[in-house]
Amino acid sequence: MNLSMTRIQAILMKDYKEFSRNYAVSIMVLMPLALAFLYNKSGANTINTYFLAINMAFTLVTAYVQCCLIAEEKEKNTLRSLMLSPASLGDILIGKSLFVFILTMVIVALTIFIVGYSPANLFILAIALILSTVFYIAIGTLCGLFAKTVMEGSLIILPVILIFGFGSFALALSSAFPILKIAEWLPSSQLAQLAEVLEGTYTTMDVIIPIATIIAWSIVTWIVVGYIYKKRMVD
Amino acid sequence: MNAVIDVQHLKKTFNKEAALKDVSFTIQKGEIFGFLGPSGSGKTTTIKILTAQTEKTAGDVLLFGRPASEMKQSNNRKRFGILTDNSGLYTRLSIEENLILYSNLYQLPKSAVKEALDFVNLYGDRKKKISQLSKGMMQRVTLARAIMHKPELLFLDEPTSALDPVNTQHIYNGLRKLNEMGTTIFLTTHDMSEAEILCDRVAFLHKGKIRAIGAPKDLKKEFGDESITVELKNGACEVIQNGEQDAEKLYHWMQSNEVSRIYTNEPTLGNIFMQITGSDLV
Repeated sequence: MNLSMTRIQAILMKDYKEFSRNYAVSIMVLMPLALAFLYNKSGANTINTYFLAINMAFTLVTAYVQCCLIAEEKEKNTLRSLMLSPASLGDILIGKSLFVFILTMVIVALTIFIVGYSPANLFILAIALILSTVFYIAIGTLCGLFAKTVMEGSLIILPVILIFGFGSFALALSSAFPILKIAEWLPSSQLAQLAEVLEGTYTTMDVIIPIATIIAWSIVTWIVVGYIYKKRMVD
Repeated sequence: MNAVIDVQHLKKTFNKEAALKDVSFTIQKGEIFGFLGPSGSGKTTTIKILTAQTEKTAGDVLLFGRPASEMKQSNNRKRFGILTDNSGLYTRLSIEENLILYSNLYQLPKSAVKEALDFVNLYGDRKKKISQLSKGMMQRVTLARAIMHKPELLFLDEPTSALDPVNTQHIYNGLRKLNEMGTTIFLTTHDMSEAEILCDRVAFLHKGKIRAIGAPKDLKKEFGDESITVELKNGACEVIQNGEQDAEKLYHWMQSNEVSRIYTNEPTLGNIFMQITGSDLV
Protein backbone atom coordinates (compact mmCIF):
# COMPACT_ATOMS: atom_id res chain seq x y z
CA MET A 1 0.00 0.00 0.00
CA ASN A 2 1.24 3.48 -0.93
CA LEU A 3 1.58 5.37 2.38
CA SER A 4 2.98 8.84 3.02
CA MET A 5 3.71 10.18 6.50
CA THR A 6 3.34 13.78 5.24
CA ARG A 7 -0.17 13.08 3.98
CA ILE A 8 -1.19 11.11 7.07
CA GLN A 9 0.09 13.94 9.30
CA ALA A 10 -1.71 16.55 7.16
CA ILE A 11 -5.05 14.72 7.55
CA LEU A 12 -4.42 14.22 11.30
CA MET A 13 -3.74 17.94 11.82
CA LYS A 14 -6.80 18.88 9.78
CA ASP A 15 -9.01 16.55 11.85
CA TYR A 16 -7.61 17.97 15.09
CA LYS A 17 -8.40 21.56 13.99
CA GLU A 18 -11.87 20.64 12.75
CA PHE A 19 -12.69 18.63 15.88
CA SER A 20 -11.51 21.35 18.27
CA ARG A 21 -13.85 23.84 16.53
CA ASN A 22 -16.81 21.43 16.35
CA TYR A 23 -18.36 21.72 19.82
CA ALA A 24 -21.38 19.52 18.99
CA VAL A 25 -19.10 16.51 18.59
CA SER A 26 -16.19 17.40 20.88
CA ILE A 27 -18.49 17.75 23.90
CA MET A 28 -19.16 13.97 23.64
CA VAL A 29 -15.69 13.16 25.01
CA LEU A 30 -16.83 14.45 28.40
CA MET A 31 -19.67 11.89 28.65
CA PRO A 32 -17.59 8.80 29.59
CA LEU A 33 -15.57 10.91 32.02
CA ALA A 34 -18.79 12.06 33.71
CA LEU A 35 -20.01 8.44 33.84
CA ALA A 36 -16.69 7.29 35.29
CA PHE A 37 -16.98 9.97 37.98
CA LEU A 38 -20.52 8.82 38.85
CA TYR A 39 -19.45 5.14 39.05
CA ASN A 40 -16.57 6.12 41.30
CA LYS A 41 -18.86 8.11 43.60
CA SER A 42 -21.45 5.28 43.69
CA GLY A 43 -18.82 2.98 45.20
CA ALA A 44 -19.19 0.36 42.46
CA ASN A 45 -15.77 -1.23 42.24
CA THR A 46 -16.05 -4.49 40.33
CA ILE A 47 -14.31 -5.27 37.05
CA ASN A 48 -17.69 -5.27 35.30
CA THR A 49 -18.54 -1.73 36.42
CA TYR A 50 -15.05 -0.47 35.50
CA PHE A 51 -15.48 -1.93 32.05
CA LEU A 52 -18.94 -0.56 31.65
CA ALA A 53 -17.34 2.89 31.85
CA ILE A 54 -14.40 1.89 29.62
CA ASN A 55 -16.68 0.34 26.98
CA MET A 56 -18.82 3.48 27.07
CA ALA A 57 -15.65 5.46 26.32
CA PHE A 58 -15.06 3.23 23.31
CA THR A 59 -18.58 3.60 21.94
CA LEU A 60 -19.20 7.27 22.80
CA VAL A 61 -15.76 8.59 21.93
CA THR A 62 -14.09 6.20 19.50
CA ALA A 63 -17.02 4.92 17.45
CA TYR A 64 -19.28 7.99 17.72
CA VAL A 65 -16.62 10.63 17.00
CA GLN A 66 -15.12 8.61 14.13
CA CYS A 67 -18.60 8.09 12.66
CA CYS A 68 -19.39 11.82 12.86
CA LEU A 69 -16.02 12.83 11.35
CA ILE A 70 -16.53 10.50 8.37
CA ALA A 71 -20.23 11.39 7.95
CA GLU A 72 -19.41 15.12 7.95
CA GLU A 73 -16.75 14.59 5.29
CA LYS A 74 -19.41 12.89 3.18
CA GLU A 75 -22.06 15.52 3.88
CA LYS A 76 -19.77 18.38 2.87
CA ASN A 77 -18.30 16.47 -0.06
CA THR A 78 -14.80 16.84 1.41
CA LEU A 79 -14.23 13.07 1.40
CA ARG A 80 -14.63 13.08 -2.41
CA SER A 81 -12.11 15.94 -2.62
CA LEU A 82 -9.66 13.93 -0.51
CA MET A 83 -10.25 10.89 -2.72
CA LEU A 84 -9.43 13.00 -5.80
CA SER A 85 -6.13 14.14 -4.25
CA PRO A 86 -3.03 11.91 -4.34
CA ALA A 87 -3.84 10.63 -0.82
CA SER A 88 -4.21 6.84 -1.00
CA LEU A 89 -6.85 4.72 0.71
CA GLY A 90 -4.29 3.98 3.44
CA ASP A 91 -3.32 7.66 3.89
CA ILE A 92 -6.94 8.71 4.30
CA LEU A 93 -8.05 5.85 6.58
CA ILE A 94 -4.94 5.98 8.78
CA GLY A 95 -4.91 9.81 8.85
CA LYS A 96 -8.58 9.94 9.78
CA SER A 97 -8.21 7.19 12.41
CA LEU A 98 -5.04 8.45 14.07
CA PHE A 99 -6.69 11.47 15.67
CA VAL A 100 -9.51 9.36 17.17
CA PHE A 101 -6.95 6.77 18.27
CA ILE A 102 -4.95 9.36 20.24
CA LEU A 103 -8.15 10.88 21.64
CA THR A 104 -9.37 7.42 22.74
CA MET A 105 -6.10 6.61 24.49
CA VAL A 106 -6.33 9.84 26.50
CA ILE A 107 -10.02 9.39 27.41
CA VAL A 108 -9.67 5.67 28.30
CA ALA A 109 -6.63 6.43 30.49
CA LEU A 110 -8.58 9.21 32.23
CA THR A 111 -11.63 6.92 32.63
CA ILE A 112 -9.46 4.18 34.23
CA PHE A 113 -7.95 6.79 36.55
CA ILE A 114 -11.32 8.31 37.53
CA VAL A 115 -13.07 4.96 38.23
CA GLY A 116 -10.06 4.00 40.35
CA TYR A 117 -9.19 0.79 38.49
CA SER A 118 -5.63 -0.51 38.86
CA PRO A 119 -5.14 -3.50 36.52
CA ALA A 120 -3.15 -6.49 37.74
CA ASN A 121 -1.33 -6.82 34.39
CA LEU A 122 -1.17 -3.42 32.74
CA PHE A 123 0.88 -4.63 29.76
CA ILE A 124 -1.61 -7.29 28.56
CA LEU A 125 -4.56 -5.02 29.29
CA ALA A 126 -2.94 -2.15 27.34
CA ILE A 127 -2.56 -4.44 24.31
CA ALA A 128 -6.25 -5.43 24.56
CA LEU A 129 -7.29 -1.77 24.91
CA ILE A 130 -5.27 -0.76 21.85
CA LEU A 131 -6.78 -3.62 19.81
CA SER A 132 -10.26 -2.64 21.01
CA THR A 133 -9.61 0.96 19.92
CA VAL A 134 -8.69 -0.29 16.44
CA PHE A 135 -11.96 -2.25 16.30
CA TYR A 136 -14.16 0.65 17.49
CA ILE A 137 -12.49 3.00 14.99
CA ALA A 138 -13.39 0.50 12.24
CA ILE A 139 -17.02 0.23 13.35
CA GLY A 140 -17.25 4.06 13.59
CA THR A 141 -15.74 4.41 10.10
CA LEU A 142 -18.19 1.85 8.72
CA CYS A 143 -21.21 3.65 10.21
CA GLY A 144 -19.85 6.98 8.88
CA LEU A 145 -19.48 5.53 5.39
CA PHE A 146 -23.09 4.37 5.41
CA ALA A 147 -24.41 7.75 6.61
CA LYS A 148 -25.06 10.61 4.20
CA THR A 149 -25.13 13.31 6.90
CA VAL A 150 -23.89 13.81 10.46
CA MET A 151 -27.50 13.58 11.66
CA GLU A 152 -27.92 10.22 9.93
CA GLY A 153 -24.55 9.09 11.33
CA SER A 154 -25.57 9.84 14.90
CA LEU A 155 -28.68 7.67 14.38
CA ILE A 156 -26.85 4.79 12.69
CA ILE A 157 -24.32 4.67 15.54
CA LEU A 158 -27.03 4.23 18.22
CA PRO A 159 -27.42 0.41 17.84
CA VAL A 160 -23.63 0.15 17.95
CA ILE A 161 -23.56 2.04 21.25
CA LEU A 162 -26.36 -0.18 22.55
CA ILE A 163 -24.87 -3.51 21.43
CA PHE A 164 -21.21 -2.88 22.22
CA GLY A 165 -21.59 -0.47 25.13
CA PHE A 166 -24.28 -2.39 27.01
CA GLY A 167 -23.74 -5.90 25.54
CA SER A 168 -22.53 -7.22 28.89
CA PHE A 169 -26.00 -6.52 30.37
CA ALA A 170 -27.41 -9.07 27.92
CA LEU A 171 -25.25 -11.75 29.53
CA ALA A 172 -27.06 -11.23 32.84
CA LEU A 173 -30.29 -12.28 31.07
CA SER A 174 -28.77 -15.28 29.30
CA SER A 175 -30.19 -17.84 31.77
CA ALA A 176 -33.72 -16.77 30.75
CA PHE A 177 -32.84 -16.18 27.07
CA PRO A 178 -30.01 -18.57 26.08
CA ILE A 179 -29.61 -16.85 22.70
CA LEU A 180 -28.15 -13.86 24.51
CA LYS A 181 -25.09 -15.98 25.37
CA ILE A 182 -23.83 -14.85 21.99
CA ALA A 183 -23.05 -11.50 23.65
CA GLU A 184 -20.17 -13.28 25.34
CA TRP A 185 -18.29 -13.05 22.02
CA LEU A 186 -18.64 -9.31 21.66
CA PRO A 187 -15.29 -7.50 21.88
CA SER A 188 -16.59 -5.50 24.84
CA SER A 189 -17.46 -8.71 26.76
CA GLN A 190 -14.14 -10.31 25.80
CA LEU A 191 -12.27 -7.26 27.07
CA ALA A 192 -14.06 -7.43 30.44
CA GLN A 193 -13.46 -11.21 30.64
CA LEU A 194 -9.77 -10.72 29.93
CA ALA A 195 -9.51 -8.10 32.68
CA GLU A 196 -11.31 -10.51 35.03
CA VAL A 197 -8.91 -13.42 34.40
CA LEU A 198 -5.89 -11.12 34.71
CA GLU A 199 -6.87 -10.47 38.33
CA GLY A 200 -6.33 -14.17 39.26
CA THR A 201 -4.19 -17.04 38.02
CA TYR A 202 -4.58 -17.62 34.31
CA THR A 203 -3.32 -19.80 31.45
CA THR A 204 -1.96 -18.55 28.12
CA MET A 205 -5.20 -19.58 26.41
CA ASP A 206 -7.18 -17.43 28.87
CA VAL A 207 -5.33 -14.43 27.42
CA ILE A 208 -5.07 -15.53 23.78
CA ILE A 209 -8.77 -16.29 23.21
CA PRO A 210 -10.13 -12.82 24.13
CA ILE A 211 -7.30 -11.05 22.31
CA ALA A 212 -7.75 -13.25 19.21
CA THR A 213 -11.51 -12.57 19.29
CA ILE A 214 -10.96 -8.80 19.36
CA ILE A 215 -8.40 -9.10 16.53
CA ALA A 216 -10.87 -11.17 14.47
CA TRP A 217 -13.61 -8.55 14.94
CA SER A 218 -11.14 -5.83 13.89
CA ILE A 219 -9.91 -7.64 10.78
CA VAL A 220 -13.40 -8.47 9.54
CA THR A 221 -14.65 -4.91 10.17
CA TRP A 222 -11.63 -3.29 8.48
CA ILE A 223 -12.04 -5.55 5.42
CA VAL A 224 -15.68 -4.43 5.15
CA VAL A 225 -14.55 -0.78 5.61
CA GLY A 226 -12.01 -1.12 2.75
CA TYR A 227 -14.66 -2.65 0.48
CA ILE A 228 -17.32 -0.01 1.26
CA TYR A 229 -14.79 2.85 0.95
CA LYS A 230 -13.77 1.66 -2.54
CA LYS A 231 -17.43 1.41 -3.53
CA ARG A 232 -18.01 4.96 -2.25
CA MET A 233 -15.13 6.23 -4.42
CA VAL A 234 -17.35 5.89 -7.48
CA ASP A 235 -20.94 7.07 -7.90
CA MET B 1 -0.39 12.10 -31.47
CA ASN B 2 -0.44 14.22 -28.35
CA ALA B 3 -3.98 13.50 -27.19
CA VAL B 4 -4.46 14.19 -23.49
CA ILE B 5 -8.07 13.01 -23.62
CA ASP B 6 -9.39 10.51 -26.12
CA VAL B 7 -13.06 9.54 -25.79
CA GLN B 8 -14.59 7.12 -28.31
CA HIS B 9 -18.22 5.95 -28.40
CA LEU B 10 -18.75 6.69 -24.71
CA LYS B 11 -22.07 5.58 -23.28
CA LYS B 12 -23.39 5.93 -19.77
CA THR B 13 -26.76 4.84 -18.46
CA PHE B 14 -28.27 5.42 -15.02
CA ASN B 15 -31.10 2.99 -14.23
CA LYS B 16 -31.68 2.25 -17.93
CA GLU B 17 -31.81 6.00 -18.71
CA ALA B 18 -29.06 7.09 -21.10
CA ALA B 19 -27.05 10.08 -19.87
CA LEU B 20 -24.44 9.83 -22.62
CA LYS B 21 -25.10 8.27 -26.03
CA ASP B 22 -22.10 7.56 -28.23
CA VAL B 23 -19.94 10.57 -27.30
CA SER B 24 -16.59 10.87 -29.09
CA PHE B 25 -13.98 13.64 -28.94
CA THR B 26 -10.23 14.11 -28.63
CA ILE B 27 -8.38 16.89 -26.82
CA GLN B 28 -4.80 17.65 -27.73
CA LYS B 29 -2.11 18.73 -25.29
CA GLY B 30 -2.22 22.47 -24.62
CA GLU B 31 -5.79 22.96 -25.83
CA ILE B 32 -8.55 24.82 -24.00
CA PHE B 33 -11.62 22.75 -24.81
CA GLY B 34 -15.12 23.97 -24.01
CA PHE B 35 -17.86 21.46 -23.32
CA LEU B 36 -21.09 23.39 -23.70
CA GLY B 37 -24.57 22.25 -22.96
CA PRO B 38 -27.63 22.90 -20.83
CA SER B 39 -28.13 21.39 -17.37
CA GLY B 40 -28.65 17.64 -17.55
CA SER B 41 -26.94 17.30 -20.92
CA GLY B 42 -24.21 15.03 -19.51
CA LYS B 43 -21.32 17.50 -18.95
CA THR B 44 -20.71 16.63 -15.30
CA THR B 45 -21.16 12.90 -15.97
CA THR B 46 -18.42 13.17 -18.61
CA ILE B 47 -16.07 14.89 -16.13
CA LYS B 48 -16.86 12.22 -13.52
CA ILE B 49 -16.02 9.42 -15.97
CA LEU B 50 -12.81 11.16 -17.04
CA THR B 51 -11.71 11.54 -13.41
CA ALA B 52 -12.70 7.96 -12.46
CA GLN B 53 -15.50 9.06 -10.14
CA THR B 54 -18.08 7.17 -12.20
CA GLU B 55 -17.74 4.08 -14.34
CA LYS B 56 -18.69 4.19 -18.01
CA THR B 57 -21.28 1.80 -19.45
CA ALA B 58 -19.50 1.38 -22.80
CA GLY B 59 -16.83 2.96 -25.00
CA ASP B 60 -13.16 3.85 -24.65
CA VAL B 61 -11.91 6.66 -22.44
CA LEU B 62 -8.18 7.37 -22.38
CA LEU B 63 -6.38 10.04 -20.37
CA PHE B 64 -2.70 10.55 -21.14
CA GLY B 65 -2.98 7.38 -23.25
CA ARG B 66 -4.10 5.25 -20.27
CA PRO B 67 -7.63 4.05 -19.38
CA ALA B 68 -9.47 6.65 -17.26
CA SER B 69 -10.06 4.02 -14.56
CA GLU B 70 -6.32 4.25 -13.80
CA MET B 71 -6.88 7.82 -12.61
CA LYS B 72 -7.94 6.26 -9.29
CA GLN B 73 -4.28 5.57 -8.63
CA SER B 74 -2.70 7.99 -6.24
CA ASN B 75 0.20 9.02 -8.54
CA ASN B 76 -2.06 9.62 -11.54
CA ARG B 77 -4.24 11.99 -9.51
CA LYS B 78 -1.32 14.44 -9.38
CA ARG B 79 -1.64 14.85 -13.14
CA PHE B 80 -5.03 16.57 -13.07
CA GLY B 81 -6.85 19.23 -11.08
CA ILE B 82 -10.59 19.64 -10.77
CA LEU B 83 -13.02 22.40 -9.89
CA THR B 84 -16.62 21.30 -9.45
CA ASP B 85 -19.79 23.08 -8.35
CA ASN B 86 -19.49 21.26 -5.01
CA SER B 87 -16.60 22.99 -3.25
CA GLY B 88 -15.56 20.22 -0.83
CA LEU B 89 -13.86 22.75 1.46
CA TYR B 90 -13.51 22.43 5.24
CA THR B 91 -15.79 25.18 6.52
CA ARG B 92 -14.28 25.45 10.03
CA LEU B 93 -10.80 25.98 8.60
CA SER B 94 -9.44 29.16 7.04
CA ILE B 95 -8.68 29.56 3.33
CA GLU B 96 -4.98 29.18 4.09
CA GLU B 97 -5.50 26.08 6.29
CA ASN B 98 -7.51 24.41 3.50
CA LEU B 99 -4.77 25.10 0.96
CA ILE B 100 -1.98 24.03 3.34
CA LEU B 101 -3.77 20.67 3.76
CA TYR B 102 -3.82 20.14 -0.01
CA SER B 103 -0.26 21.40 -0.50
CA ASN B 104 0.80 18.68 1.98
CA LEU B 105 -1.32 16.05 0.23
CA TYR B 106 0.35 16.99 -3.08
CA GLN B 107 3.70 17.35 -1.26
CA LEU B 108 4.31 20.84 -2.62
CA PRO B 109 6.68 23.53 -1.29
CA LYS B 110 5.18 26.13 1.08
CA SER B 111 5.42 28.78 -1.65
CA ALA B 112 2.71 26.94 -3.63
CA VAL B 113 0.01 28.18 -1.23
CA LYS B 114 0.97 31.84 -1.73
CA GLU B 115 1.19 31.39 -5.51
CA ALA B 116 -2.28 29.82 -5.60
CA LEU B 117 -3.73 32.57 -3.39
CA ASP B 118 -2.21 35.25 -5.63
CA PHE B 119 -3.65 33.46 -8.67
CA VAL B 120 -7.20 33.86 -7.36
CA ASN B 121 -6.59 37.26 -5.75
CA LEU B 122 -7.23 36.03 -2.20
CA TYR B 123 -3.89 36.44 -0.42
CA GLY B 124 -5.21 39.30 1.71
CA ASP B 125 -8.19 37.20 2.84
CA ARG B 126 -6.23 34.02 3.57
CA LYS B 127 -7.05 34.01 7.32
CA LYS B 128 -10.81 34.11 6.72
CA LYS B 129 -12.80 30.98 7.58
CA ILE B 130 -14.53 29.24 4.68
CA SER B 131 -17.87 29.54 6.52
CA GLN B 132 -17.55 33.35 6.28
CA LEU B 133 -16.98 33.46 2.52
CA SER B 134 -19.35 34.38 -0.28
CA LYS B 135 -20.07 31.81 -3.02
CA GLY B 136 -17.74 33.63 -5.39
CA MET B 137 -14.85 33.64 -2.90
CA MET B 138 -15.43 29.94 -2.20
CA GLN B 139 -15.26 29.25 -5.91
CA ARG B 140 -11.92 31.07 -6.07
CA VAL B 141 -10.56 28.97 -3.18
CA THR B 142 -11.65 25.79 -4.97
CA LEU B 143 -9.93 27.02 -8.11
CA ALA B 144 -6.76 27.79 -6.13
CA ARG B 145 -6.85 24.23 -4.78
CA ALA B 146 -7.33 22.82 -8.30
CA ILE B 147 -4.35 24.65 -9.82
CA MET B 148 -1.89 24.77 -6.91
CA HIS B 149 -0.02 21.62 -8.04
CA LYS B 150 0.21 22.94 -11.64
CA PRO B 151 -1.61 19.98 -13.19
CA GLU B 152 -1.09 18.82 -16.77
CA LEU B 153 -4.87 18.70 -17.20
CA LEU B 154 -7.44 20.92 -15.51
CA PHE B 155 -11.17 20.17 -15.35
CA LEU B 156 -13.25 23.28 -14.71
CA ASP B 157 -16.99 22.94 -14.17
CA GLU B 158 -18.50 26.45 -14.51
CA PRO B 159 -15.38 28.18 -13.11
CA THR B 160 -16.66 31.76 -13.11
CA SER B 161 -20.40 31.25 -12.55
CA ALA B 162 -20.41 33.09 -9.21
CA LEU B 163 -17.71 35.67 -9.89
CA ASP B 164 -17.90 39.43 -10.47
CA PRO B 165 -16.47 40.86 -13.73
CA VAL B 166 -13.17 42.00 -12.13
CA ASN B 167 -12.40 38.58 -10.64
CA THR B 168 -13.66 36.82 -13.79
CA GLN B 169 -11.10 38.79 -15.81
CA HIS B 170 -8.41 37.97 -13.23
CA ILE B 171 -9.24 34.26 -13.52
CA TYR B 172 -9.27 34.40 -17.34
CA ASN B 173 -5.79 35.93 -17.34
CA GLY B 174 -4.57 33.28 -14.89
CA LEU B 175 -6.06 30.43 -16.94
CA ARG B 176 -4.42 31.75 -20.10
CA LYS B 177 -1.10 31.93 -18.25
CA LEU B 178 -1.54 28.33 -17.03
CA ASN B 179 -2.43 27.26 -20.55
CA GLU B 180 0.69 28.99 -21.94
CA MET B 181 2.70 26.97 -19.42
CA GLY B 182 1.30 23.78 -21.00
CA THR B 183 -1.82 22.98 -18.96
CA THR B 184 -4.63 21.47 -21.03
CA ILE B 185 -8.01 22.80 -19.91
CA PHE B 186 -11.37 21.03 -20.14
CA LEU B 187 -14.03 23.60 -19.40
CA THR B 188 -17.77 23.27 -19.04
CA THR B 189 -19.80 26.45 -19.08
CA HIS B 190 -23.15 27.99 -19.88
CA ASP B 191 -21.47 31.29 -20.61
CA MET B 192 -21.02 31.55 -24.36
CA SER B 193 -18.84 34.65 -24.16
CA GLU B 194 -16.55 32.81 -21.76
CA ALA B 195 -16.23 29.95 -24.24
CA GLU B 196 -15.49 32.40 -27.06
CA ILE B 197 -12.86 34.22 -25.02
CA LEU B 198 -11.06 31.17 -23.68
CA CYS B 199 -11.62 28.12 -25.86
CA ASP B 200 -9.60 26.90 -28.81
CA ARG B 201 -12.38 24.41 -29.59
CA VAL B 202 -15.86 23.78 -28.27
CA ALA B 203 -18.32 20.89 -28.37
CA PHE B 204 -22.07 21.28 -28.03
CA LEU B 205 -23.57 18.53 -25.91
CA HIS B 206 -27.32 18.06 -26.02
CA LYS B 207 -29.33 15.18 -24.56
CA GLY B 208 -26.21 13.04 -24.18
CA LYS B 209 -24.93 13.55 -27.74
CA ILE B 210 -22.33 15.86 -29.25
CA ARG B 211 -24.17 17.94 -31.88
CA ALA B 212 -21.25 20.02 -33.16
CA ILE B 213 -17.56 20.33 -32.45
CA GLY B 214 -14.89 22.74 -33.68
CA ALA B 215 -13.13 26.07 -33.22
CA PRO B 216 -15.61 28.91 -32.41
CA LYS B 217 -14.43 30.77 -35.54
CA ASP B 218 -15.04 27.74 -37.76
CA LEU B 219 -18.46 27.03 -36.25
CA LYS B 220 -19.51 30.64 -36.80
CA LYS B 221 -18.44 30.36 -40.41
CA GLU B 222 -20.23 27.06 -40.86
CA PHE B 223 -23.49 28.10 -39.22
CA GLY B 224 -23.64 31.79 -40.13
CA ASP B 225 -23.83 33.84 -43.29
CA GLU B 226 -21.18 36.36 -44.20
CA SER B 227 -23.49 39.36 -44.34
CA ILE B 228 -22.83 42.67 -42.62
CA THR B 229 -25.25 45.31 -41.44
CA VAL B 230 -24.68 48.95 -42.31
CA GLU B 231 -26.52 51.67 -40.41
CA LEU B 232 -26.73 54.90 -42.38
CA LYS B 233 -26.90 58.43 -41.03
CA ASN B 234 -30.40 58.85 -42.47
CA GLY B 235 -31.58 56.03 -40.12
CA ALA B 236 -31.77 53.33 -42.76
CA CYS B 237 -30.38 49.90 -41.96
CA GLU B 238 -28.99 47.84 -44.86
CA VAL B 239 -27.87 44.21 -44.85
CA ILE B 240 -25.27 43.55 -47.49
CA GLN B 241 -23.66 40.31 -48.66
CA ASN B 242 -20.01 39.46 -49.23
CA GLY B 243 -19.66 40.12 -52.97
CA GLU B 244 -18.57 42.61 -55.64
CA GLN B 245 -21.97 44.24 -56.09
CA ASP B 246 -22.51 44.98 -52.39
CA ALA B 247 -18.90 46.04 -51.96
CA GLU B 248 -19.52 48.77 -54.48
CA LYS B 249 -22.62 49.86 -52.56
CA LEU B 250 -20.61 50.06 -49.33
CA TYR B 251 -17.84 51.97 -51.08
CA HIS B 252 -20.37 54.49 -52.34
CA TRP B 253 -21.89 55.04 -48.85
CA MET B 254 -18.46 55.49 -47.30
CA GLN B 255 -17.33 57.89 -49.97
CA SER B 256 -20.39 60.05 -49.44
CA ASN B 257 -19.91 59.85 -45.64
CA GLU B 258 -23.34 58.27 -45.10
CA VAL B 259 -22.24 55.38 -42.80
CA SER B 260 -23.10 55.71 -39.11
CA ARG B 261 -22.28 52.12 -37.89
CA ILE B 262 -21.14 48.88 -39.46
CA TYR B 263 -21.09 45.38 -37.95
CA THR B 264 -20.92 41.71 -38.94
CA ASN B 265 -23.91 39.40 -38.56
CA GLU B 266 -21.93 36.35 -37.45
CA PRO B 267 -23.89 34.19 -35.00
CA THR B 268 -22.91 33.83 -31.36
CA LEU B 269 -22.19 30.35 -30.01
CA GLY B 270 -25.55 30.59 -28.24
CA ASN B 271 -27.29 31.22 -31.60
CA ILE B 272 -25.51 28.24 -33.12
CA PHE B 273 -26.52 26.02 -30.22
CA MET B 274 -30.14 27.08 -30.64
CA GLN B 275 -29.93 26.55 -34.38
CA ILE B 276 -28.60 23.00 -33.94
CA THR B 277 -30.72 21.81 -31.04
CA GLY B 278 -33.75 24.03 -31.14
CA SER B 279 -33.35 24.75 -27.44
CA ASP B 280 -31.63 27.35 -25.27
CA LEU B 281 -28.40 26.84 -23.28
CA VAL B 282 -29.88 27.02 -19.78
